[in-house]
Amino acid sequence: MASIREQFEIPGKMKTWALGLIAVGVLAMIIGLVTKGMGDEHEKTVFIGTLMYNSLFFMLICNASMFFICATTLAMGGWQVVFRRIPEAISTLVPIFGGIAWVVLMYIVFIDHNHHIYHWLSEEAKTDHILSGKLGFLNPVFFLIWTTLAIGLWIILGAKMRKLSSEADEAALRGEEPGKSFVWRNTVSASLFIVWFALTVGSTVPWLWMMSIDAHWYSTMYSWYTFASSFVAGMSLIALFVIYLKNKGYLEYTNQEHLHDIGKFMFAFSIFWTYLWFSQYMLIWYANIPEETIYFKTRVQGPYKGLFFLNLIINFVCPILILMKRSAKRNYTLMTFMAVLIIFGHWIDFHQMVMGSLSKEHVTLGWLDFGIAAFFIGMIILFTGRALAKKPLVPKYHPFLKESVIHHT
Amino acid sequence: MAHLKYESQLREPLVTGNKDYHQVTEDICRPIEAKPTKLWYVGFYIAVALLMFGVYSVYREVTYGIGQWNLNKTIGWGWDITNFVWWVGIGHAGTLISAILLLFRQGWRTGVNRAAEAMTIFAVMCAGQFPIFHMGRVWMAFFVLPYPNTRGPLWVNFNSPLLWDVFAISTYFTVSLLFWYSGLLPDFATVRDRAKTKLRKLLYGVAAFGWTGSTKHWQRHESLSLVLAGLSTPLVLSVHTIVSFDFATSVIPGWHTTIFPPYFVAGAVFSGFAMVQSLMVIVRKVFALEDYITLGHIEAMNKVIVLTGSIVGCAYLTELFMGWYSQNKYEGYTFWYSRANLFSPYGWSYWGMMACNVISPQIFWFRKMRRNLFVTFFMSVLVNIGMWFERFVIIVTSLYRDYLPSSWSVYYSPSTWEIGFYLGTFGLFFTCFFLFAKYFPVVAIAEIKSVLKTTGDTQKDGMDKQEEMQPEEFVHEYAH
Amino acid sequence: MAKKKFVVGCFDDEAVLFPAVKKVRTAGYKIHDVYTPFPVHGLDHAMGLRETSLHTAGFIYGITGTTTALSCISWIFTKDWPLNIGGKPHFALPAWIPITFELTVLFAAVGMVLTFCYLCQLAPFVKKHHFHARATDDLFVMVIECTAKTNEADLQGFLNSIGAKEVNVQEAEADWWFGRYDQEQQLIRDTKVEVA
Repeated sequence: MASIREQFEIPGKMKTWALGLIAVGVLAMIIGLVTKGMGDEHEKTVFIGTLMYNSLFFMLICNASMFFICATTLAMGGWQVVFRRIPEAISTLVPIFGGIAWVVLMYIVFIDHNHHIYHWLSEEAKTDHILSGKLGFLNPVFFLIWTTLAIGLWIILGAKMRKLSSEADEAALRGEEPGKSFVWRNTVSASLFIVWFALTVGSTVPWLWMMSIDAHWYSTMYSWYTFASSFVAGMSLIALFVIYLKNKGYLEYTNQEHLHDIGKFMFAFSIFWTYLWFSQYMLIWYANIPEETIYFKTRVQGPYKGLFFLNLIINFVCPILILMKRSAKRNYTLMTFMAVLIIFGHWIDFHQMVMGSLSKEHVTLGWLDFGIAAFFIGMIILFTGRALAKKPLVPKYHPFLKESVIHHT
Repeated sequence: MAHLKYESQLREPLVTGNKDYHQVTEDICRPIEAKPTKLWYVGFYIAVALLMFGVYSVYREVTYGIGQWNLNKTIGWGWDITNFVWWVGIGHAGTLISAILLLFRQGWRTGVNRAAEAMTIFAVMCAGQFPIFHMGRVWMAFFVLPYPNTRGPLWVNFNSPLLWDVFAISTYFTVSLLFWYSGLLPDFATVRDRAKTKLRKLLYGVAAFGWTGSTKHWQRHESLSLVLAGLSTPLVLSVHTIVSFDFATSVIPGWHTTIFPPYFVAGAVFSGFAMVQSLMVIVRKVFALEDYITLGHIEAMNKVIVLTGSIVGCAYLTELFMGWYSQNKYEGYTFWYSRANLFSPYGWSYWGMMACNVISPQIFWFRKMRRNLFVTFFMSVLVNIGMWFERFVIIVTSLYRDYLPSSWSVYYSPSTWEIGFYLGTFGLFFTCFFLFAKYFPVVAIAEIKSVLKTTGDTQKDGMDKQEEMQPEEFVHEYAH
Repeated sequence: MAKKKFVVGCFDDEAVLFPAVKKVRTAGYKIHDVYTPFPVHGLDHAMGLRETSLHTAGFIYGITGTTTALSCISWIFTKDWPLNIGGKPHFALPAWIPITFELTVLFAAVGMVLTFCYLCQLAPFVKKHHFHARATDDLFVMVIECTAKTNEADLQGFLNSIGAKEVNVQEAEADWWFGRYDQEQQLIRDTKVEVA
């Protein structure tokens, strides 16, 4: 009888790559700190801004893994159980990246008082007739409390979900009663996470962290847009790890059928992202109110023009044309390529969302951005690898495992 | 090879009552083959009477002009457009159930998709009446079509969201109808092959297009359904998105907000599901279809209702927050005075909307409530009242106080003929639905049969062997 | 169009049907068709049918819709009758996306449904021979076309042995014709049975 191969061992190469990327990243940060961080106000802002959007982007795409787990749990999905440990492992990065992001944000608000990033921190904000009205929301105290609460509860609720998942390794879960209770407890925790997710990622947090960079500007769509961007990149990250483990000979019960469904998510949410992008852009373009169009001025007509259209090509045109075919979603090489492309595309999206407001005269995308991204990617590889090695790769006694094994698209 | 039919015993069966294939056919064809009941006649004639009243109301409007309605210069859109958006919204659940749930592989859709799709088509028909008759000179309605004409040719304005509506609603109606009808073909064939009378043989024979059940035809049919589902998913999003553009492309406070498209879609799904619930709770009882539309189905739909209700709630709060955050005094006035202030002239409608759409659906967090038929029915009606309020709030509270205080107006209440028109569309909707329920298979027979082996209760009992297997044994035996 | 001779075997369980299809094919018989009350997954593969390319046709129809919409609107608004609408450029692409999308979907859906009906010969007043009335109820009806070499008795026995519940021989028109289901019609064509 075949036994289920379920223990992941971190290959030496994976570790080397991870540490190498982290080293490159640290080096880039040190050079960046010396050349830019000590420079004039603008250079310094670029340095911190780059650090900020990277930490937010990578934290949100790792958190998207937990969102995926909770959403499929609530939908009573069975198909994802065979590879469920992968998004779980990716979500262990949330505490780490959450910590980094928290430090960066708090540094900006409390130590640096960087009003080039957050204009509402400046003295003149108190006399500006628009900004002064917003200070009830945009103030350091609320910023501290809400940021801490948001990240803190993601960590706690995510950990709760992972802890519950460990029960599925024990034979005690077999049978109807334990199974029912397991599903029920999962549902409760997942709904708590989803509700908190909606109150943070789905609404307040993107306003507070990113939209408030353009302190006068507002768009009700902003948070849902940010969510779509981070979720589709998060799905791509899951796909990458599934394919990696598959190539290493693990996950023998995860196959093209599952990959196909992950591919469908990537395809569908790429279109969803485009839908939100279009809705936001078109409505602002159409109504043509100066207070609103200012946001797109630098992006569509200014120096960010290239990135702006690149963003659309990578995140809309490529997925819709390439992932539409059934065979493409079942092809490991093509899916790897698309996953990398989509993650890169949404990283560019975050770049233009943040840096487009911080460095309006010229595009700063360069070695520093890629260096810092390398650091975060290295961290993802290292810690996801570690988390994967800690638990069996297959939740053997999960009530829906059998459905997942025979899953058929 | 045939794939193993298995699903976890933790899932409740979606077809109960120990059915086999033949019984499925029998159960669903029975109401079609029996004489209509007294209750059916009563309902049908009430619907037709309402429809007649509607026809008369429209006749008044067409003959004497829009003045038959109580619209005024400030409130140029009132009940008419509110009803339009309300009906279009309701017309979203069918396609959502058939298309999105098909893609998400939610097995419970099979029990309700046919009726939901029919409801969609009828709701869109009702919706279409409002903008058409709102034109006033309805005999000029063909002016909205772009065709080379002798007026220049003077083209339609492709940049106008109202024209986008023309395209969106007509495309949506056409595609939904094709999707629905292609699904009906095999079921009409089933009815045809059982028909006893000549007339039935003729009519169902014509309706079934000569369907035989050939494997090659099924293969193409499956491919067609999948692609139509794939097309309908973005289509259903686009329709209410474009309806929201009617408002959001403007610069009217309370209308111009970027979250409108997804929030309108969520609201549409919300009200559509509520309407499906109202109808299903009755249909399953009247036609004895409790074995096919089980409490499990009702519960699943209630979950969608609480989900979409909460998404809509999240959007309401987002808007309200931005009304303040923007520090734009017009936005602020609209949201915090005209709407959220209970004591402003239309404040009641805002709080009616909040109570029906956001607060009360939260009751469905409780499993007991989700499975209670009375609560379900009551809530489904409440949600549709709430969603009507929502459209009323959006349209009227943004219009009645515009930039010119001298034209401010609070004196808008509908005339008899405005109300009559609305009641008339109820008549149209229920006339169609009664006919559908009597002459069409209200549950998709072929689709139920194709999930029977996975989810029927007797068939599930046969899966004990697989359920008992150790995971290792199971993967050894069945993994592909 | 002509009449042909068929051996018909009816099965009442798809679990029996699958091995039966395999055995019939290995025995060298040509399966004319299998009529089922619902889509049986994997049966097309078991019968050796080619994948359908209906979805490719759909894609082409969709692209046609996109092109039609964009070319028509841009010609109308930039060449035929340019209008200044709200100060927007004549080539106001974002405003045309909704209609372009709708026409893409409309063309794809209508085109596909028509193609589907054409390929399967489905239309009102189309009539076909039905080998068993319960093929749309609860029977899986396997139809094997007889050739000059076919021994009908043997084949019937064989079908019985692999689980068919009901077996018979029918002479039938394999194609479609115009007709009504409430009337038996004598086809005008010759009644001679054609044997391949």
